[in-house]
Parts: sequence; structure tokens; C-alpha cells
Amino acid sequence: MEQIVGALIVLPWIFAIAVFLSPNHRLRQILTFLSLPVLTYLAFKVWNSNLPFFVETPHWVETAVTVFDYLLLGYFLYQGIKFRSFLVSVLAVAQLFLLTWVLLILPHSATPPIYVDRLTSFMYLIVATVGTIICIYATKYMEQENLDRENRFVAILLWFLGVMNFAVSVNNIEWFFALFETTTLASYILIRFRWDEISVKNAIRALWMNQVGGIAILIGILFAVKYYNVYNFTDILKINATAISMIPLGFLSISALVKGAQMPFHKWLLGAMVAPTPVSAILHSATMVKIAPYLILRISPVIKGTLLAKLLITTTGFVFVAAGLLALTQDNFKRILAYSTISLLGLMMLTASMGSSVAILASLLLIFFHAVVKALLFLEAGIMEKEFHVKYIEEMRRLIEKAPITVFFIALGFMSMTIVPYGIFIAKWITLEEASNFISHGAYIASIIFITIGGVILTLLYFKVIGVISRKRGEFVSFKLEKLPFIYMFTTGLYVISTIVGSLFIAHFSTDFVNLVVKDITGEFANIKAESLTLITPVSQIYDWQILGAIILLMIVPVSAYFVYFKADRVYEYTCGENISLNIGTYNFSCISKIEPFIETIAVALFVLTLVLGGGLV
Amino acid sequence: MSKELSVVLTLLSPFIGGLVYGFERIVRARMQNRQGPPILQPFYDFFKLMDKRSIMIHSFHAFMGIMYLIGTWFSLYVLLSGGDILIAIFFHVLSLAFLVIGGFSVRSPYSVVGAMRELIHMLAYEPVFVLAAVGLYLVTGTFQVSELLKTDTVPILTLPLVFIAFLLSLPAVLKKSPFDIAEAHQEIIGGPEIEYSGKFYEAVYTAKWIEYVYAFFFVFLFAGGNYFLGAVLVVLSFFIVNLIDNATARVNFRQMVSFHWYILIPLVVVNLMLLALWRA
Repeated sequence: MEQIVGALIVLPWIFAIAVFLSPNHRLRQILTFLSLPVLTYLAFKVWNSNLPFFVETPHWVETAVTVFDYLLLGYFLYQGIKFRSFLVSVLAVAQLFLLTWVLLILPHSATPPIYVDRLTSFMYLIVATVGTIICIYATKYMEQENLDRENRFVAILLWFLGVMNFAVSVNNIEWFFALFETTTLASYILIRFRWDEISVKNAIRALWMNQVGGIAILIGILFAVKYYNVYNFTDILKINATAISMIPLGFLSISALVKGAQMPFHKWLLGAMVAPTPVSAILHSATMVKIAPYLILRISPVIKGTLLAKLLITTTGFVFVAAGLLALTQDNFKRILAYSTISLLGLMMLTASMGSSVAILASLLLIFFHAVVKALLFLEAGIMEKEFHVKYIEEMRRLIEKAPITVFFIALGFMSMTIVPYGIFIAKWITLEEASNFISHGAYIASIIFITIGGVILTLLYFKVIGVISRKRGEFVSFKLEKLPFIYMFTTGLYVISTIVGSLFIAHFSTDFVNLVVKDITGEFANIKAESLTLITPVSQIYDWQILGAIILLMIVPVSAYFVYFKADRVYEYTCGENISLNIGTYNFSCISKIEPFIETIAVALFVLTLVLGGGLV
Repeated sequence: MSKELSVVLTLLSPFIGGLVYGFERIVRARMQNRQGPPILQPFYDFFKLMDKRSIMIHSFHAFMGIMYLIGTWFSLYVLLSGGDILIAIFFHVLSLAFLVIGGFSVRSPYSVVGAMRELIHMLAYEPVFVLAAVGLYLVTGTFQVSELLKTDTVPILTLPLVFIAFLLSLPAVLKKSPFDIAEAHQEIIGGPEIEYSGKFYEAVYTAKWIEYVYAFFFVFLFAGGNYFLGAVLVVLSFFIVNLIDNATARVNFRQMVSFHWYILIPLVVVNLMLLALWRA
């Protein structure tokens, strides 16, 4: 098993080097394509093995990680000086100082530094499927953008996947810090990939914001060693944190909030959209931001029920609503997607902090389905950019006339984030019912309000966009399906199919697959059952015919809507009899832009509260 | 509720809804000191509309109108079949999606404005609905409609404020004054409905009747297993909704959302808190 875990980490790097060195575009595409079956196979091998297990590493790895740490921080410092960014330099120096301190006081621990359980293996599967498909897509995207730098770009993406696999398998938090900062490095390089002024500016911002997360981890390690003399995830799970000190967990949660782009640290993820679109896709779906809910899931058994967990619920619940509100004011398609990622990351962390088995199940379902759907939507954003040259909502008007397939996929992606019976809805639904269980004590009512209001705001947002792209002129009669490059159709098609199939078989997917992960995290299975397609939760059930009916309504109907033809006389739209030229836009919700500073203030306050009260700094 | 009964009720729902609508027109007329149309007037309108020359903007739009009818009908069956109440609420969103996409799909200013307002309606009333469902769960211990209809507890006795909040959000669901901004006949001439005519309008029109049944069945649930009280509640809320409809003027969307979020949601929360206190 050790070799397979090693292969999952190292193979993407080998693929990356091979792609980087291969001279031919076709060869690079084949190599990238190979990574999908190879990594998926290996990830399944790990999933089917006897989990969980520890992996001992030779001593030189420890030294290598330490050396790498210093090189990495040195590089950050160099970038800070090179681009004259005070924040980046100062934070890099602070990290160098804290890291040295950590290394000096780190006691010897017998616990092996690599720990692979179901959660790790679940993340492997997401990276291996969702991540590699984005890389395949990137080969075509870069061919259209700049073929000369394609090898470099795809190689970085593949390398990033290996880093992500490594990050989710470490047990030693000091190593986790190294990999956390490596993902920061990866995002920094990818965001500045185009090397224009705004790219560099946004990359620097992403760099310093994520470094704040790194500092939080280091301080967390220092306190963990001081109070408990432990620095491994598995050891932290054994401590009784409420009795002594919550400080280490408070700082770890803060680093998760920063990595998960929760307000007020959300600007780095928004800035990432200046990079080529596959970068956004990979940051938002399979890698990077998913570290945030991963980290909360790791520590959720310890923080469950504490003040920290409650403050995390409040903070992330607030972000779930607020990011959705701010998304309404945006007119750039990628920014809308970015805000909705921030919002849904809030929901993932909210459910993870609730900590009960059913809530954890919801969180994992959200992680999986969000990864697939967000990747789909970003790939569609890239397709619109390259094939139809539109970036803004305003330019997307009447897209349905030109690109019915693209519009259908986008609509499906948006609907699968809010509407019955898709995976994200199911997660929201079981969270609501789980929260209702606690409500007889008067607790958790705030989370119910957050979840419903946030959910309905996202519905409003998605339908606003669907409305713009599905508008068409009356005189436009027959749809002609657009011709997209094969790779575009293939990659997006895979995502669409997995969204639909996953939602159709959601019951078995939850009980036979996700529930095993829940067992590893909380120690007990979530109390759900599956009967054919029917999903039975502790208090209720969603029937097979409901799932089927909704899928038929939402799938076959929009498809046939393209081809249904009624025999009826045609008229023009009613405009009170006036012959005016129409230019219909959409709502920009300027009333919300006005309260943006107010929202950010509350976000900062909640953030500080989480650290100060939750971490027990008072 | 047995399976047969729910199927029959669902199939009959357009007739029930049509009758309710006809009755409502009489009630409203009497409130305004008018005679009003005969009770079967909606059905006369139905046959008249079927007879009209069918005209449309484009097939996609017309098809969405028909899907709105089918979607609403299906969501009513989800509610009546005794399944999960939250699922039924979210299915209603699904059916609304067809109306909204239909409204957005034409280049008509009134239709587009109306579709957006339709979404804002949802923004206002859906949290109240979900919280009401949570309240029902709290007192009866189940989300299943079939179980709710069998319980001995009468939810309204312990959830009076939730019931009031729910009642006051009904106008937003049924698009009645003061919360009729999505239709607003004097302003945007029916909103998403405006571009439908003939048979296609008939579909949208019938879907609205079904929504009557859907909304008032929720009221019925507040009486639990006590069907007589349920019927009384339905009749009472029907009159109150029409009274409010007659007595108020339209507000703007901001006032509607603030009313729902800042008055009705806290009302529900207060009730749930008091309940938690009282039980503990």
C-alpha cells in the first residue's frame, strides 16, 4: 500500500515532468489523458485496501521537507522583495522565524507522518477524477491561447495534483504546513501565469493572504506542542481539548477559513479569475480551497459541540448568505462563480463544524458534488471565452441562439446546485433536517435560517444568469447545435454525466460510499439507508419516484424544449403597442452593493470572534 | 392519506382550484359590494380560451408554460402523496423554475421584470415555509405529511405565531395584494404571464389554480390529525387572505422582502424559542 500512496503523490510529478519535456502537442495530450485512468485506478486501489493505515517514511524525507520549507519561504521572501510587496516579505520572514521555533521545540513522536484513511482516499478520488479532467481540458485551452507555454501550464497543473494528494495524506502538521504553503505557491504561480500587471498584483495578494493561513498553522503547532506535546492529526484527535486549551484548534480553523476564502479573506479567490480559466477550475473544484473543509473535517470530532464549532457555524453561515448576496451584484461570469464557491465553501465548513454523522455526510456530499459541478461551470466559462468570446453577463445575452449545448450544460450546472434532486440539494436537505433535531433545545435555529436564506439567494442568483442566457428572439426558430472541439465536449460531458448519475443513485452513493468516510471521521455510520433509489434518513425519506420525476423534468424537458415545435401563429412581444428597439439587460442589485462595506465589517468581526472566543484567547 | 385518495385529489386539483378561484371572485366582489361572476366563471373562461386562436412568441416559451403546469401538478402530488414536507417545498421551487425561465426567455420587458420579481417572491416566502416545516417537525416529530395527518397533537395550539407568520406569507405565494408585485397588473401587466395566450395561457392559468390547492393544503397541515379544525383553518385563512387582498395596496419588492425577513421570520423564531423554554 505504501508504494501506491507514494505513486499517487509522485506519479503526477512524473507526468508533469514528462509533459513539460515532451516536444509535441499531441504527445502532451496523450500523456495528460493517461493520468486520468492511472490516477483513478490507483485511488480506487487505495479505497479498496484495508483502511486506515500509517506509512513510515525514511528519515531523509523529514530532512527534505525541512529543507524544502526553508527554500519555499526563501522564495516567498524573494518574491516579496522582487515585487516590492511589504506584506509578502514580512509574512515570509515571520514564517521563517516561527518555523525555526517550531523545529527547535518539536519533540520526538513515534506516530508516523503519513496517515491514510477514508477521508484521504475520498480526496484522492476527487483529485484523480475531477482534477485530471481539468488538465485534459487545459491542453486544448492552451492550444487556443498560447501553444508555446502549454507544456509549462499543464505541467504545473499536474504537479499541483500531486501536491494536493500529498497534502491530504500527511499526519504531521508541520508537514501539512509545508504542503499548505506549497499549494499557496502553486496558486501563486498559476495566478500570475499571464504575467500582465493585474495578474501579478492578484497573485501577490493570493500569496500574502494564504501566508496568513500558514502563520496560523505554525502558531497552532506551537501551542499544540506547548499544551499537549503533540503535532500529529491522529494525536490531536485523542486529546480532550475543552479541558485544557482550544488555542491550537482555533488557529487551525483560522487557517482553514483563510484557505477556504471565507470573508474577509475572499479577495484572493476572486483575483484568481485573471488567470487562464483552467486555473480557476482547478482552484475551485478539486484542489486548493477543498483543503479548507478537509481540515475542518479532520478536526471536527474534537471541536464538535464546543464554542469554536458554534462560532465557526456562525461565521461560515454568515459567509454562505453574504457571499451569495454579493454575487448578485456581479456582472462577470467567473466572478459570479467565484462568489458562489465562497458561499458553498461556507456551507461545507458549516456542516463539517456541526460534527454529527449526518452533517459530516452532508459536508462530504457537498465536497464531491461541488467539485464536479464547479469544474463543469468553469470549463463552460472557458469555452464561452474561447469559442464565443464572452465574459460578462451582458455579453451572454441570447447565447442560446448560438450555443444551445453550452447553455444547456450551464443551466444544468446551476440547477444542480440548488434544485431537487441533485446532490447539493440533498446535502442541504439532510443538513436542515439534522439541524431540526437539535432545535428542541432552542439551538441551531440560526444555522437553519442561514441555510434556507443562503440557499434561496443562490437560487435567485443562478436563475438570474440562466434567464439571461436563455433569452431568444421570437423570429429565431430552429436551433442548430454548435460544433465544439472534441476535448471540450468530452470533458464537460463527463462532468454532466457524473452529476446526473451521481444524483440519480444518490441513495446508494451516500450509503455505500460516502458513509464509509463518515465512519472513519466520527466513528459511527450516519443513520441512513438506501432502498433502490430511495434515500431514507433518520426522520424522513426522498422517494425514488421523486428523484426520477425531478430528473426527468429537469433533464429531458429542457432538451426537448429545443426541438418541440408548436403550430401556432407568431406575434411580437407586447410593448404597449409602441415600436421601440429593445435592449434587455438584467438586474444588477445595486441596493446590495451599497451595504458591501457593512457586510465586510461584520465578516471581520466574526472572524476575530472565532479566533478570540473560539480559540479561547480571552 | 391513502395513495388512491392522493392520486384522485391530485387529478381533481384543477377543478378544486378552479372552484376555489370562482368562489374567491364572488367573495371579493361581495367585499366590494358587487354581485360578482357565477362560481363556474373560471371554467367558462377556460373553454373560451381553449377556443381562441393560439398565438405565441416562440415554441420554447410556450413549452415552458406547459411545463409550468406539469411541474406544479407534480409538486402538488409530491405534497399530497404524504412524502417529506421539505421536499414538497423545494419541488415547488422546481415548478416555479419553469415559469421563471419561460418569463426570461422572451425579449419582453414586462415578462423579464415579472420573472425576476417571481424569484424575489420566492426569496421572501421560502424561508418562512421552511421554518414553518421545521416548527411542525418540532411539535409532531415528523417531516412526513402522511404522519402529520395522523398525529393527535394539534400543531396550531403550540405554534400560533408560526401559523400567523405562515398566513401572512400566503399572499406572497398566491400573488395577492399587498404582495402581488410579480403580477402587478397595473404596472407590469401580469409579469411572466403576459406573453402567453390561448391554450398556452390556459396552462399557466390552470397551474395557478393548482397552486391554490397547494398553498391551502399547507394550512390544513397546521391542524394535524384534526380534520375538522383543518377545514376551519383553511376557510378562515381563505377569507383572511382575500380580506387582506381587498384592503391593501401593493408594496415594493424591498418592503415585501423586509416584511418577510424582519417580521415573519423573527415571529417564527420567537415561537420556537418559547416552545423550547416551555418544554424544557
